[in-house]
Amino acid sequence: MKMTEISVRVNGVAMKSSVEPRTSLADYVRETCGLTATHLGCEHGACGACTVLVDDVLTRSCLKFAAMCDDRHVTTLEGLANDPLTDLLRQCFHESHALQCGFCTPGMLMAARDLLRRNMTPDEITVRNALAGHICRCTGYSGIVHAILLAASRLKPDD
Amino acid sequence: MFVADVRLPGLQDIAFVRSGVAHGRLLSVNKPADDRERVFTIDDFDDLNVLEAGPELEAFRQSPYPALASGKVRYVGQAIAACVATTRARAEDLAERVEVEIDELPAVVDAVAAMQPGSPRLFENWADNAFIARTISAGDLNLFSASPMRLKRRFRMNRHATVSLEIRGVVAHWDARLEELVVHLSTQGGHVMRLGLARALGLPENQVRVIAPDVGGGFGGKNRLLPEEIAVCAIALKVGHPVRWIEDRREHLLASVHCRDHHYDLTVCFEPDGTLLGIEGDVHIDAGAYALWPTGSFMEASMAAGNLPGPYRMKALRVNTFTVATNKAPMGPYRGVARPGACFAIERMVDEVAQHLGIEPYEMRKRNLVKRTEMPYVTVAGLKLDTGDYHDSLDTAAKMIDISAIRRRQKERKPGEPRVGIGFAVYTEQSGHGVVEWSKRKSRVVPGYESANVRMLPDGSVNISVGVQNHGQGHETTLAQIAAHELGIDPSQIRIRYGDTATTPFGFGTFASRSIVFAGGAVGVTSRRLAEKIRLIGAHLLQAAPESVRIENGAVLSDSGSVGFGEIARAANIRQEMLPEGMEPLLEFTGTYEPKESAGVFSYGTHAVVVEVDEATGGVKILDYAVSEDCGTMINPMIVDGQVQGGISQGIGTGLYEEIPFNADGQPLATTFGEYMMPCATEIPTVRIAHSVTPALVTEYGVKGVGEGGAIAPPAALANAVADAFRDCKASFNETPLTPRRVWEAAQAAMTRMEAAAETRA
Ligand code: FES
Ligand code: FES
Repeated sequence: MKMTEISVRVNGVAMKSSVEPRTSLADYVRETCGLTATHLGCEHGACGACTVLVDDVLTRSCLKFAAMCDDRHVTTLEGLANDPLTDLLRQCFHESHALQCGFCTPGMLMAARDLLRRNMTPDEITVRNALAGHICRCTGYSGIVHAILLAASRLKPDD
Repeated sequence: MFVADVRLPGLQDIAFVRSGVAHGRLLSVNKPADDRERVFTIDDFDDLNVLEAGPELEAFRQSPYPALASGKVRYVGQAIAACVATTRARAEDLAERVEVEIDELPAVVDAVAAMQPGSPRLFENWADNAFIARTISAGDLNLFSASPMRLKRRFRMNRHATVSLEIRGVVAHWDARLEELVVHLSTQGGHVMRLGLARALGLPENQVRVIAPDVGGGFGGKNRLLPEEIAVCAIALKVGHPVRWIEDRREHLLASVHCRDHHYDLTVCFEPDGTLLGIEGDVHIDAGAYALWPTGSFMEASMAAGNLPGPYRMKALRVNTFTVATNKAPMGPYRGVARPGACFAIERMVDEVAQHLGIEPYEMRKRNLVKRTEMPYVTVAGLKLDTGDYHDSLDTAAKMIDISAIRRRQKERKPGEPRVGIGFAVYTEQSGHGVVEWSKRKSRVVPGYESANVRMLPDGSVNISVGVQNHGQGHETTLAQIAAHELGIDPSQIRIRYGDTATTPFGFGTFASRSIVFAGGAVGVTSRRLAEKIRLIGAHLLQAAPESVRIENGAVLSDSGSVGFGEIARAANIRQEMLPEGMEPLLEFTGTYEPKESAGVFSYGTHAVVVEVDEATGGVKILDYAVSEDCGTMINPMIVDGQVQGGISQGIGTGLYEEIPFNADGQPLATTFGEYMMPCATEIPTVRIAHSVTPALVTEYGVKGVGEGGAIAPPAALANAVADAFRDCKASFNETPLTPRRVWEAAQAAMTRMEAAAETRA
């Protein structure tokens, strides 16, 4: 199969790779870059487990081709290891029992961070709407919703 | 790290060629001429064993399920060939080039029709399509003819999938140095899977190592050995490099473990005052095409029948059960096993009788629930309800949900406003059942105990290995809490290990709400043995009499001094000269545990839900959900709440959303999340939970299991609530999921009936 050359900044690191045009961004970060925090729960855009940032925009990596990310910045959960907001969320997820098996958690953290960056004072409905399209089979969502509201309550205006 | 995250040098991917038809004779499988050696069919493995599966009962018919189809295909999605390539995409390319010829046969898609004479048969050597048919009868059967009143209803809980978010996965390779097959498997019980894999592959068990890393949910679906898993291992033994298969969602919905699919045709007998007398009728379980190793889904039928009397005093039970083979993916266990269906049937029945007699459903339950003073109470089906206060549970839930406010709201409703309804469902959840119960069920593997290895290392830190498999239940937390309690140290000093047959003692895994009872008990009793040895060594080091010392905060204390566990562990492990005369070195014990009585202990609870129904669309919205539950002693209340909320979320899925319908040809009509409705944060409310604690009498600490309970009652409570919203027109909602269409149709039918009746009167 004809390969496509791409240059992608993955979590700040410049990568030059040759990919099949059909390779999804999800497979690219997982298989080529070895970044396995991005999980695959459906590979058809319905579960949200594979959520990453492409140029800071929340993106389902299973629905995007790696070849579409030439010259772009891709951020996976690994890239947010030192991000204070992600850290706060992680802490609140822990305190709120917001994960059981943990498979949905990377996508949930991505979505939660994105929400709080747009809206620091969401109410419960807003949080639930922001999570619509993110499937968690274990928790029944209440811990996740609680965690995000808790994180919001702890946000200081300059965070 | 999940199975899909395992990276091994030389790893290649597998994609399966699957049947596109539900039933047919497999005429030929043609491999692409240029790539024959990368495609495998059953003919490439002459040494694979087909395992007998299902209960060890003469009457249970065998449905040999080969790793890859042989002779016939019996459901859409059955694996026919496996293709190996450097990436999954390339393996799928190869799979597309494999030509399969199938001579299609008529499909069997309805479990009730499948038992009619003349139905096509899945297995030619069976007399009909039943894996097994059994009648369960108990109590005073004369009641059925003598009963003053009776009501007949049909209920149906449709088929869906288990849908763990992490799908199945297996990575297998032959370790040439150790001469063993290493299998990374997403499973709920690695030890039992090793047993099955070893037998299927014809290897001794000590040459198979199963590692279950993080497991992204299971819910029962990962507690059976599936043919793909055997095929991947068999290929690993042939090709000489690691291979993996990571199921995709379509494969999961097509061909992984399916669940529920219960059909009830029941008559309930009762007195004019609402006293329930007995229940009789037929239960059909649509079990799909094959029984999965080890135990298939045979328990569905017996448990469904056995749980029909629920928490109620009844005097008679007579149920004909049929576990039926159909051209659908094999059924397996799913959170709640059988009881969501049974609870749906009996709890709907209770409401139907209440409606019929004009009694408040809540009152109807009060009249029939087993009383605290009657405990232990043996139900007519023979289940021994051990401890609890069911009346209190119902009252608490009723208070939480405020019936009178809802009744007021219903009265004041103006035409055009949405309808509101309230529904109750009471359930029991058997857990901690051991030898007695599982051998009664003729289980092939009898999970009557669990084991723990508790070890204190020379620095005083503790490792505990267990045979259960955490996949979201928080065992690291609860088991460490238990050990910390017994050892008098902080939980942070304890590591819990599981999920590797090479490093953990044999155990059965995590299912049937059993881990806190069995593994919790095993960790408890084994830690106690360790604590005792620590105490003896401590006393010796303190030169005190053993009976004069005690354990506290990581040290052994006497009246005059103390010695820390670090020092004691050092003595026991690396400074044996400091030990009491004749004492064996090491601080390590392996122990097993089974509750004193092994018929099981029963958690229970009441679910109460308020719904709003849109008359125009049939859409159901949950306004409030309250639960009052009792799972005995809670080791960790936060984890209990998580299990309840999570279980209810799945129960709401069964009740309102999740379904895999099949067309007449046996084609499944929900194979992506586009057609298969998964509830999200916008559909699942935060449930209000009240706990009461009635400790079990026969388990360590008085614990009872809690994993499944949440999933049992929601379909019943929801359907009762929707029916309550349409009380005025006597609409019946007896089939799940309660999709907008089903609700709308049932409501329309009832309204039409009501209008017709009004016209006749006029
Ligand atoms: S894997 Fe991308 S949305 Fe599910
Ligand atoms: S914690 Fe298991 S899927 Fe969300």
